[in-house]
Amino acid sequence: MKGNEAIAEAAIRAGAEGYFCYPITPQSEVAEYLTKRMPEVGGVFLQGESEVAVGNMLFGAASTGKRVFTTSSSPGISLMQESISYMAGAHLPAVLVNIMRGGPGLGGILPAQSDYFQAVKGGGHGDYRLLVLAPSTVQEAVDLMMLSFDLADKYRNPVMMIGDGMIGQMMEAVEFPEEKEIKRNNPDESDWAVNGAKDRKPRIIKSLFLDPHQLEDNSWLLDDKYEQMKREEVRYELYKVNAKNKLLIVSYGTMARICQTVIDELESEGISVGLFRPITLYPYPMKELKKEAVKKNIKTVLTVEMSTAQMLEDVERSILGKKQIEFFGRTGGIVPTPDEVKSKVLELIKPKKKAKTSEKKKRGKNVK
Amino acid sequence: MVSAERHFKSPSFSKRIIVIVGGYGSGKSEVSVNLARFLATTESKSVAIADLDIVNPYFRSREASRILDKYGIDSIYPKDNFTHADLPIILPRVKSAIQGYEGTLILDVGGDDAGSRVLSSLTDAFPSDEYEMLLVINANRPFTNDLNGCLKMMQKIEETSRLKFTGLISNTHLVEHTDKGEVFSGYKLTSEVCKKTGLTFSFISVEENLLKDIDPKEINVAVLSLDRLLLKPWERGSNSENI
Repeated sequence: MKGNEAIAEAAIRAGAEGYFCYPITPQSEVAEYLTKRMPEVGGVFLQGESEVAVGNMLFGAASTGKRVFTTSSSPGISLMQESISYMAGAHLPAVLVNIMRGGPGLGGILPAQSDYFQAVKGGGHGDYRLLVLAPSTVQEAVDLMMLSFDLADKYRNPVMMIGDGMIGQMMEAVEFPEEKEIKRNNPDESDWAVNGAKDRKPRIIKSLFLDPHQLEDNSWLLDDKYEQMKREEVRYELYKVNAKNKLLIVSYGTMARICQTVIDELESEGISVGLFRPITLYPYPMKELKKEAVKKNIKTVLTVEMSTAQMLEDVERSILGKKQIEFFGRTGGIVPTPDEVKSKVLELIKPKKKAKTSEKKKRGKNVK
Repeated sequence: MVSAERHFKSPSFSKRIIVIVGGYGSGKSEVSVNLARFLATTESKSVAIADLDIVNPYFRSREASRILDKYGIDSIYPKDNFTHADLPIILPRVKSAIQGYEGTLILDVGGDDAGSRVLSSLTDAFPSDEYEMLLVINANRPFTNDLNGCLKMMQKIEETSRLKFTGLISNTHLVEHTDKGEVFSGYKLTSEVCKKTGLTFSFISVEENLLKDIDPKEINVAVLSLDRLLLKPWERGSNSENI
C-alpha cells in the first residue's frame, strides 16, 4: 500500500471513530482513502474549513473519549498548534500525523524533516510535550499508528507521528495485525469523557485554571506523565552496531534508510559503521544513545537529517561532549543521496585522503 | 532485458497514442517509463512521453528524466521551476502532440478518476481512432483487488476522461516481495475483467528477475519486462540506470 493509505487503514483497524482533516500535499491520500473507508465502519469523516477548525474539531471529539485523529503536513500542523496545546492542557488523547514537507512558511511540497523542533519541543504554548513517533517504513507507520492510539489513551495526551513526504507517498508491502489483537478503549468506562451526563454528575474538560496554584498543579501533573513516558516509552533501533564500528550514525525516518544503504555499501568495502535510529523522538532515547556513543571504538558520531540540524541538539544533549559530533543534512525538499552521505562518512573516517569541497563544508557542519 | 523476453510475446501497438490510466499507485508511471524505453529500443519510430500527473507530485515519470533522455525519448512535462510545482500545469505541447506527434506518444496520467479528469480538457484533440486507453491493474491495491472494483474504477475514469478504454495491463506486484503467485493472481483478475468487458489484454508487466520463474506457455498475453526505474532514494537500481 501507499504510506498514506496504510496510515489511514491502520487508524481504522485501531478503532478510530472520528477523522477530521483539511487536504494538503503530500498527505491528501489519507483523506481520500477515508472518504471511502470511514463510512464503512460507521465513523465520522469531516473536512474542516481550515486546519484551525480541524484542530478544534479534534479537541471537541477527543473530549468524548472516542478514538480520533487528524493528518496534515507542516503548514497545516502549524495552524493546529493552539488546539494541540489545549488538548494537552485538558489531558485529552488524540493522534496527529504530520507528513512533513519543506519549510519554513509555505515552503515546498517535497520531503523534509524540518518540523522536528515543532513536534518534539512543543509548537504550541505552555508546559506540555507530545509523545512523538517516527516510522522509517510503511509497515512501521502502520504499527506506530496503531500504537499511537494506545499511547494517547494510556497518557491521555496527544501523540504525534511524524514522517516525511516519502513515508506518505511510497509504496511498500504491509501486513495488518489480526482484528482480535486490537485493543479498543471504552469511553463509557472512563471517569473523564464527556459523553452524556444522564444518571451521573456532569464532567468538565478544560485547560483554563485562573488560580495559579491549580495551573501549576496541572503542569506538574503533565510533567509526571512525561517522566513516565521517559521511563516506559523509549523506542529505538540499532542497525549493524558492533565493536568494529568506527563511526556511529544517528538518523531517523526514511533518512535512516538512506544511511542503511550507505552502511551496507561501506561494509562491503571493509568499513564498519553502525546506525542508531530513534523511533520515539520524544521521549528521546538519551541514555541508550549515550551508551552506544561513548564506546571506545566509536571515534565520531554523525547526525544525518533532512533539516539544517534540529535533532542534533538532542544528540548533543545525550552525549554531553563525551564524543566528537558531526552533522550532515540537506533540506527544503532535497533528499540526500547515498553517495553524499557516504562521502561525508569517508571524509570523517579518513580525513587526510579525502579532498573537501566547499559545498560539502557548507552542508556538513562541524559541531565540536 | 532482451534475452529474458525472447520466449514471451512482446507488447505491440497499432495506435499512435497510448493513454495509461489507473488507480493511485497502480504503477502507471513505472509502466509508462518502461514501455517508452521498450518502444524506443525496439521500434524505429520516435517515442514521446507526457507526464500528465497533476494530482500527485511524488514518484512521477518526470523523475526518470535521465533515463528518458538516455534513450532519446521526448519527455513532455513542465521544466525548471515548475517541475515540482503543486500546480495543475498542462503544457500546450501536450495538445499539439496528441493532435499530430509523428511517432508513439505515451500519456502517463494521474491516479483514479481525479487524475484522469485532465484528459477531458484534451478529449477534443484526440483523433478518435488513433488512441488506445489502457487501465493498469495492480490486484494488490485496495480499490482494484476484485472484478467489481476494477469495473467501478473503469467506469469512473471513462466518465471523467470522456475517453473509452481499449485494453488492460496487469502490473500486479508487492514490490520486492513479489513472487510468481502475485503475477498470476493479477493475470487471472485482469483476464476476468477482459472477459467481462470484451477489452484486449494488452500486456502483463513483470520484473525481469521474476521472468525466469515463469513458463511462457503459462501466460497467454504479451509480457513487458520491467526494470524498476522510479526508485526510492535509498535504493540502488538492479542495473546502472539509476535516476
